[in-house]
Order: sequence, then C-alpha cells, then structure tokens
Amino acid sequence: MRGLMLGALALLCCAFTHAVYAQDDLMDFFDEGGAPSTVTSAFKAGRIINVQSPETSGKGEMNFIIAHRFGRISDGWYALFGLDNAQMRMGLDYGVTDQLQVGVARSSFGKTLEANVKWRFVEQQKGGGSPVSLTGYSVLMRDGMRFPADGIVRKDVHRISYVHQLVVSRKCSPELSLALVPSLVHRNLVDNAEMANDVGTIGAGFRYKLNNRLSVNGEYHYLLPRPVEDDFVNSLSLGLDIETGGHVFQLHVTNSRGMFERAFLAETTSRWQDGDLYFGFNINRVFQVGDRR
Amino acid sequence: MKYILLFVCCTVATLAQAQRFATRDARIAFLSETPVEDIRAESTEASAIMDLANGQVAFQVPILSFHFPKALMEEHFNENYMESERFPKATFRGTVNGLDAAQSGVQNVTAKGTLEMHGVAVEREVSGTMEQTASGWVLDARFDVPCADHDIDIPKVVTENIAEVIAVTLHAELKAK
Repeated sequence: MRGLMLGALALLCCAFTHAVYAQDDLMDFFDEGGAPSTVTSAFKAGRIINVQSPETSGKGEMNFIIAHRFGRISDGWYALFGLDNAQMRMGLDYGVTDQLQVGVARSSFGKTLEANVKWRFVEQQKGGGSPVSLTGYSVLMRDGMRFPADGIVRKDVHRISYVHQLVVSRKCSPELSLALVPSLVHRNLVDNAEMANDVGTIGAGFRYKLNNRLSVNGEYHYLLPRPVEDDFVNSLSLGLDIETGGHVFQLHVTNSRGMFERAFLAETTSRWQDGDLYFGFNINRVFQVGDRR
Repeated sequence: MKYILLFVCCTVATLAQAQRFATRDARIAFLSETPVEDIRAESTEASAIMDLANGQVAFQVPILSFHFPKALMEEHFNENYMESERFPKATFRGTVNGLDAAQSGVQNVTAKGTLEMHGVAVEREVSGTMEQTASGWVLDARFDVPCADHDIDIPKVVTENIAEVIAVTLHAELKAK
C-alpha cells in the first residue's frame, strides 16, 4: 500500500512537471538555434548628407539622386538667401547586388563627371557576428572645365582625381546610427607645386530618428595636416531626412558647396563662423528596374 | 512496485515527447490587394511546433525574414510599418480543436489562441486544415489580419497602395521531434 501511494505520488509529480514543462518548452523551441540577423536601414539614403552612408541601392534598384546647393544664405534678400543660384548634381546609382552598387553622376560644380563603386562587404549583425558594417567607396572624378590659356601644357589625365573611403558604421539603436569615415583624396594635378596631391580626412556622421519618417543628420570632416598652409577648411553639415514613400528628401545647411567627395572633403573654403553657409537638398527617387531574385 | 510505476510514468513522459512535431522552415506569405497594386511577401523561415498530447500549437516568424520583390518595399515594411527592430517577431500560440489524430486524410480544424505582432496581442480563432503524413503533419491555414488590430498605422498618402486587411497564408510541414 505504501509502495502504491509513493508510486501514485511519483506519477502525479511526473505528470505535473511534465505539463508545466510542456508549456514552457513549446516556446523554448523558438529560442534554440537562433542565428545572428543582419541589421538593416542604419541610414535612410545613400548619403548621410554629403558623405556616403553604408546604404546601397538594393539589387536591381536604380536610385536617381538630384541634389542642389544654393548660394550663400548670407547674400540675403538680394539673392533670395542664395536661392537665385544653385549648384546641381545629378546621379544614378544601380544595385548590382544588395551590397554592391555602381554609379555615375554629373555636377555643375567644376563640370565634374564621376564614376563610383560602393561595396558593403561586412554587415552589422545582431546576436553575434560583426558589431559594425564596413563599406568601401571609391570614386573617380573628371574635372570638365576648359584649361586656362596660361601657356602651361596640361593633359587630359590631369583632370582626374580620386577618393577612396571606408565607412565604419553602427546602428546603435533603432533611432541612432553612427558612422566613422576616413578618406583619402588624390589629385593628379594640383594648383601649385607646394600643394600635396594626396590629402586625408577623418569624418564622422550620425542619424537620429525623430519618428519613422523624419530624422536629424549631421557630418563633420577633419582635414589632416597638409605640408603647406592653404585656405581649405573642415566641412560641417546638418540636416533633416524626410521620407515620403518612394522619395527621401534631405534638406540641409552646409559650408561645402561641391557635392562630390574631392570638393567637400578637401576643397571646402567657406566657414561656419563667417556665416558662409549654403542651403541645399538631395532628393532620392528609387525605381525597381531589375529583378531582385 | 514504486519502481514499476516510476518506469511507467517516465515512459508516458517519453511518449508525450514523441507526440511533438515541429519545423523551422514553415512558409508564411501575405498579400495586400488594392486596385492600384498587389504587394506580396513571403518568409520561409517561420518556426512551428505542435504538441499532439494537449493540442497546443505555437508559431513564430522573424519579421525581417519576409522578402518582397522590391528592396524599398522591404525597407518600408520593416522600418515604417512593422518596426521590426522593436518588434522582431510575430507569434501565435493556441490550441487546436477538432483534430482526430487517428484519422487519415485532410481534416478541417480550428486553432484558438493569441496572435501577437507589432507588440499587440489579439485573441483569434483561425481555421485551417491538417493532414497526417508518413513523417508528421501538414498544416495549412488562411486568415486575414486587419492592420488596425495591431496598431499598424498606414498614412493617408499610401492608403491606395496598401490594403487595410492583409490576407495571410501559412504552410507548415511538421516532423516528429
């Protein structure tokens, strides 16, 4: 009898623990074997403002970017705070894969033509894997201005300059994303013999989401020491991203008027402290032209 | 005597274990249908588990695993509507009713339980079919999810493009676990 009682008790215990176990266990199944997932959408557009963000066009996506930088805001009413004259850049970016993008663009600033390639070769992962994404960007720029008639012989190759950069980025929270962007600028020809052909910059940028469709962005580029004193200054830009479905509007204020890398990284001349600022925008419009699968 | 009972009890527990069926590659697809455009997306990374002993079922799908024909749609889905970083998963847990485990062929069943997505849990009763196969069970279900039920806000400018009620289909092939 005692044995039977004990046995019954054991059975009861067993059945009870099993029932409890069964309930928890059913959901436990989902926690097992959870692979790291890729963190996406650290930034809204391919550029934070001027500089590259880690974002690329998705596979088969054509992104048309039209950007303006108006004249000096300090010109006041006479030039409608700069709106009377604009520099323009038109660009097309195409996603070869979800990570690899190629692009061409034309800027009115220096009549510059550019060809670029961007590759996000490390993705930020959640639950293991890389804590940051790494994106390489290289651009070839061709200055299109007529050579001055000063008797100096120039060749077409002298029109070319390059920028190579690495975007180290981390989406720290759904709202805040940060990027660190070291860049190397190389110019085949510079204005005078003392100027260095190569100049380096260290840049940083952020995106802070105010809501799902609006974010505050900023970026700053520090020019590394050059062999001779020149008039070039660091670039600082602040702006807003507004997303309206198919478009991303980026509105900003910056002291850099050129919209390609060599110009805003290495050849910015206007200073915030003098009030020499430019209002500008980028409009990003996406078209799916190729198959995604 | 008590050892025999203990043994029986453990055997029962093990048997119950064998009555558990699961998969990690169930397919969940959805369709948003409007006169302007049809938007489809699919995930093949849903997990499902069923305990025949008590009829409990649970489903879970990572929101990021839904893929769209356009990268931009996927971004908007995750960033603007589902907020997948805050709410990375959708789950359903409930109990299957009307299932006769001994019967072969396709059976109509219902599952009553809690559907949670976008951080909002809603009590639902979903009807579907189940069929016993050599290796386990095949589940199919089709149900509608009104966006408003889960606080998924669709702005006025895109109401012509995104349906208020999303049709969801589910296909899971559960194997003995």
